[in-house]
Amino acid sequence: MNCKTTLLKLTPLVVACSLAITGCSSTKVQRVDANQEVALSDKWNGKDSQLVAEAMINDMLSFPWVNDHLQKEGSRPAIIIQSVRNKSHQHIAVDTFLNDLKRSILRSGQADFVANKDVRQEIRDERKDQELNASLETQNEMGQEQGADYALSGTINSFVDQQGGDRVTFYQVDLRLIDMTTNREVWNGQKKIQKLQERSRFGF
Amino acid sequence: MLSLLRPLHYQAWLTVTLIVVLTGCNATPANKNAILLAQNGQYEQAKTTIETTYSATGKNKLLRHLELGTLYHLEQQYELSNEHLDTAKAIIEEQYTVSVSEQALALLSGPTYTTFAGKEFHRPMINVFKALNYNALANRHPAQRQYYLDAALVEMRQLDTYLSTLTDETGGYDGEPSGDGLTDSIMRVLQPLLAPNDLLKNIDYKDDAFAHYISGLLYESSNELDAARIQYQRAATAFEQGFAEQYNLKTTVTKQAYLDLARVMRKAGGYGNELVALEEKWGGGMTKTKQAGPRLTVIQNAGIGPQRKEFNLLLKADHSAKALVVTPIVWGTPAERKAQMWWFQMLYADTSLFDMMQNYATGDLGDVAMGALTKRLPLGDSLWQSAKTSGLIDALEHGSRIAVTYLEPFEQKIEKTELWLDGKKVTELDTYHSVSLLTLQSALKNANTEMQIALTREVVKAMTAHKAIQSTGLQAFDGFAKLATSVVNAVTAGADLRQWQSLPSHIKLAQVPVTQGTVNITLKTKLRSGRVIEQSDSLEINENMTLWHTRTFIESAKPAAPSTLFTME
Repeated sequence: MNCKTTLLKLTPLVVACSLAITGCSSTKVQRVDANQEVALSDKWNGKDSQLVAEAMINDMLSFPWVNDHLQKEGSRPAIIIQSVRNKSHQHIAVDTFLNDLKRSILRSGQADFVANKDVRQEIRDERKDQELNASLETQNEMGQEQGADYALSGTINSFVDQQGGDRVTFYQVDLRLIDMTTNREVWNGQKKIQKLQERSRFGF
Repeated sequence: MLSLLRPLHYQAWLTVTLIVVLTGCNATPANKNAILLAQNGQYEQAKTTIETTYSATGKNKLLRHLELGTLYHLEQQYELSNEHLDTAKAIIEEQYTVSVSEQALALLSGPTYTTFAGKEFHRPMINVFKALNYNALANRHPAQRQYYLDAALVEMRQLDTYLSTLTDETGGYDGEPSGDGLTDSIMRVLQPLLAPNDLLKNIDYKDDAFAHYISGLLYESSNELDAARIQYQRAATAFEQGFAEQYNLKTTVTKQAYLDLARVMRKAGGYGNELVALEEKWGGGMTKTKQAGPRLTVIQNAGIGPQRKEFNLLLKADHSAKALVVTPIVWGTPAERKAQMWWFQMLYADTSLFDMMQNYATGDLGDVAMGALTKRLPLGDSLWQSAKTSGLIDALEHGSRIAVTYLEPFEQKIEKTELWLDGKKVTELDTYHSVSLLTLQSALKNANTEMQIALTREVVKAMTAHKAIQSTGLQAFDGFAKLATSVVNAVTAGADLRQWQSLPSHIKLAQVPVTQGTVNITLKTKLRSGRVIEQSDSLEINENMTLWHTRTFIESAKPAAPSTLFTME
């Protein structure tokens, strides 16, 4: 109501200005680097996913459990991602975040990765098919899978504080790594992102 | 020219123009047609109607996505429904920044020239509809149940943020309503013509107990007991402190929210003192063991919300009495004319608006005075002179048509809805929310603002034209020019009738204890006309809380038939 009352007073000036700028807007599309951040809102975006994944995996691999495992087993640890639940207020493509985690782990060269349940089942079906249809030299044996040593899981949480057009969004990603033999939590990582979005009440 | 016109009298010309203009008023809007098609199962035609009427980029793009979101929801295409509702949500967010140029142009032309931004209660409705869609997907895909329930909870967190901001602004059901703050000089003159502000108390959309309640149910489904407890507490408090009274709900609704609160407190543990307090306040039942175990909540979205229609007023200056006079121009069917008169009385009568609104909501219009009801504002000598100097009085010589909206009356056609499980009647559903009353109250609340803007717009148009005539120096044509201005203004005046039309009229709900496994649900909706609508489905019950929803159309052209013919989850 107050907004409209104020607008009543501004009418003559605004009409003139709006007529003057009518027709100035147009649609423009340009190609940008996929690594470049284009933040149009305070929502979780691809850059957030990438940065958080890299930071957390770097932190994870800096903990003593990697060397402990190498000394004890003589091989790189194998990790499986169980689940990362989205408990935030935004719809986050968790699969994309999981892929960023996987890429960071594999790129480090310090740990191996074990496919998740659904992918494993697909591969098993493929091996069954090989038993029937592939030549003996190219067949892959059943029962030779690498079991995971550690399970990675976590949550994405968020808090929102809003006043008028200003909004502060705080994302917190918590991940933990569990030793699958002993249930010992060998690493617990946390990464926080805070974003401020400011919107004006009036615009042309 | 003038000699030809004078015998016919200017007033007659204006009357003829008004009749021509009014004849075209209140045609059924496209989105009403679409939902009427949908209730007869003609979804493709309904969607085509929306897509061809409301473009994806125009001023009504929000309506396009809201209506398509509902139609896909009814068609059980939940992913597509969510895509449209998500776009609708983004459009509403964009509208936070008000386009000054668009608003200014609208003030000189009409409200329909603005981008439709929705009402304050649309945003929570989108969250609730999206959450129900995700819940239905969770029921449909048991292997991905948690994923979809998590997505539903994302909607509930967004809803919580929105409602927190809303209650901060309105004070919720504890605080004080916000004031209007009129400063404009034209409005100061016109203010006494409008509804007294104290008549519009207690109809603000302050908080949403129903949305909090749905949120509690969904958190409980995911076994997030702490979040469920907080939402049930907010729902119960809001129901108790005014929401139930405002939307004409029974006290059993409030008690059920407290029962749910007690249940999750018991499940979580550590709330002994709070449970004792609830037991003392609400008596037995709060700690009974029958509240434990799996539970089923059935949500019935019933009917179609009421339609917004146009209502016209004539603003004139009465020289002899030195007063401004607003006269309603009732038009349409006898029922529409009666509703328009009642609407006028509701906004201007000195009786309790709240009581009259409740009667209006039930379709009980009684015997309203259909005579020449007017609202008269004596200005007195000094104000009259001031208005005359500014050109206001001359501008209103032939009157100015003011177009505002009113909401068609609605009546409760459902006598009761029974819930049957595996062939046995277990309970009846209670009304947990009245979207019709919510829409009515929103329309009433905005009626004052809408009329102020409409009055100002038409007066500004008339005064601008009057000054333009004076500046030409062609005083001989003054009378004709004034008439022409009145005619043009009468034709261009228009009310904003846009609204999310496919929302249900009422939302009913029941919650019952169940055992895990498959259960056959039947809803029997008994209408006052004697007709019975049956809807059936089977559902897998989970360990905590299972939600099932359906839409029941009351006016469906299909004959009443048992079983799945009417099933529309």
